[in-house]
Amino acid sequence: MFIEALIIGLSLGAIYALIAIGYSMVYGILKLMNFAHGDVYTFGSFICWMLLTKYDLNPILSIIIAMIVGGVLASIVEILAYRPLRSPEYRNISMISALGVAYIVQNTSENFWGSQVHLFPSIISIPFVSIFGIKIPTTQFVTLGVTIIVISIFNLFLKYHKVGKAILCVSQDIPTSSLMGIPINKTISIVYLLGGILGVIGGILYASSYNALSLSMGFSGTIVAFNASVFGGIGSMNGALLGGLILGMIHSLVGIYISTTYVDAITFSVLILVLLVKPKGILGYYVEEKV
Amino acid sequence: MKKNKNIIVIILTVAISFFLPLFIKNLYWLGVLNGVLTYSILCLSLNLIFGFTGLLSFGHAAFYGIGAYTTAILLTRYHFPFFPSLILSGLIALFVGSLLGMSTSRVKGDYFCIVTLVFGEIFRLLMQSWISFSGGAMGIVGIPIPQIFSWRITSEKDFYYLGLILFWFTYITLRVLVKSKFGRAFIAIREDELAASTTGINTVKYKILAFSIGCFYAGLAGSYYAVYNSAITPSSFTLGESCLMVIMVVLGGMGNLEATVPGVIIMLIATEVFRPLYQYRLLLIGLIMVIVLIRYPYGISGIFNKISSMNKRRNYRKV
Repeated sequence: MFIEALIIGLSLGAIYALIAIGYSMVYGILKLMNFAHGDVYTFGSFICWMLLTKYDLNPILSIIIAMIVGGVLASIVEILAYRPLRSPEYRNISMISALGVAYIVQNTSENFWGSQVHLFPSIISIPFVSIFGIKIPTTQFVTLGVTIIVISIFNLFLKYHKVGKAILCVSQDIPTSSLMGIPINKTISIVYLLGGILGVIGGILYASSYNALSLSMGFSGTIVAFNASVFGGIGSMNGALLGGLILGMIHSLVGIYISTTYVDAITFSVLILVLLVKPKGILGYYVEEKV
Repeated sequence: MKKNKNIIVIILTVAISFFLPLFIKNLYWLGVLNGVLTYSILCLSLNLIFGFTGLLSFGHAAFYGIGAYTTAILLTRYHFPFFPSLILSGLIALFVGSLLGMSTSRVKGDYFCIVTLVFGEIFRLLMQSWISFSGGAMGIVGIPIPQIFSWRITSEKDFYYLGLILFWFTYITLRVLVKSKFGRAFIAIREDELAASTTGINTVKYKILAFSIGCFYAGLAGSYYAVYNSAITPSSFTLGESCLMVIMVVLGGMGNLEATVPGVIIMLIATEVFRPLYQYRLLLIGLIMVIVLIRYPYGISGIFNKISSMNKRRNYRKV
């Protein structure tokens, strides 16, 4: 029982981590709380659902199309709604325009697909695998595997690819990196693109492991991304990974051993406690303020 | 001269707001006006916290809810008179606000925003699951008609006047506060916390002060809402509600009390006007928000400032 709960928590945490990394990366560069993140990746997941059920497309192809749609949507949103407000004095204001975008995307997907819960087809045909007598759903294994692969590719990309290095530079200092000849606007658009793609992967994994897809995933997804990245320290990639895993563990352990009604309340209380002890999250570090 | 002009404008607006129900007989629009008053009180107080002091709070609906639940419980279970419970609602919201402010004084910036957001959600979840205390998801119904001395507040018009009194009380006290030494300290903290602390402002104290005073008014608004609706449920105090208040403040103009009310009016009127287009309402509201903010990042106060600076330029040309 305990090991099963642990594995469920791990795979749930992996999904949360995928969603949170895209969110945290945007925060790391622009210090913008992207309220539209959840709705954008839900839109992408809906595209995948539509291609799978209505058009009977190949699962892998439809996932790739959904990823592209989610990523492109995220960067379009960046260009139209955030770029005009990109300056330190408009920080809070761009957050509100992000909220407006969240409303727009949410309403659009509601008009396309309705607000009811849809059955998301399971992509994998083998339901369970048993290891040492413990039955574990295959989706959980696949989820974990996909997350590990995606995050490692992503890390390698950031470390060794030219564009990835540019992203790291921009997240450290925008004016200096623009002096070094890095195209700021392009880099930031790519960050949003990647964030959207990672979010869509997370959304599809979430939907396929619960076999359900609904609009409410958008807003709750944004909150999950918030929480996970705050647990670890906003803006830090490893922090988002750690935060996502912790969040998943809490959700599954509390859900199994205490009660599912108190999952959110307990998660939030733990979050507040963490912030009271470490005001910058677990992996967050203090940056001395320059005067 | 300028001061006299300001006083005349204030007296005129007070007079107009008091005579407004004589012209608006339609109960539906009176109801909308009452909503405008409630949200104006909430947004004025949120403007103190967010616009003046720079503490972004996504938990204002929780304090609104604390006020509403206090009044509802006092009136239905303990048969308190309305006026003391109105004051108590504000004071309890102030107390909880100062507790939250004190315990999170180390948490800064966006982390503060998350803490308030999470606090709001915990409050809502608590009210939803603590059935013996708050009635759970069904809420508290049958809140009696309020009475202040011999004034029984029953009709929409009576509620309008009660709300109006609360609104002017909020506006005038906040205006005095903002123009005082405290207000200058709040603005200094918003502009640069480090610089403010080096000039001798106790930033922690002032931040807690601003936050808890803002919560006091939210409690008053909640109390008004409870008696006006005569029933409350946790679904009125969601995160969406807190977001709406922040949107209204930003649309009106952060750090500008006068522009807050137009911001509230635009959002509420938009909600009412787009009601027939129910399906696309959220889309249109989102579009309005994005377009207005991209064009005028300082909201309605930015439009005002632009006009007044144009007038000034014209005067210079004359000279």
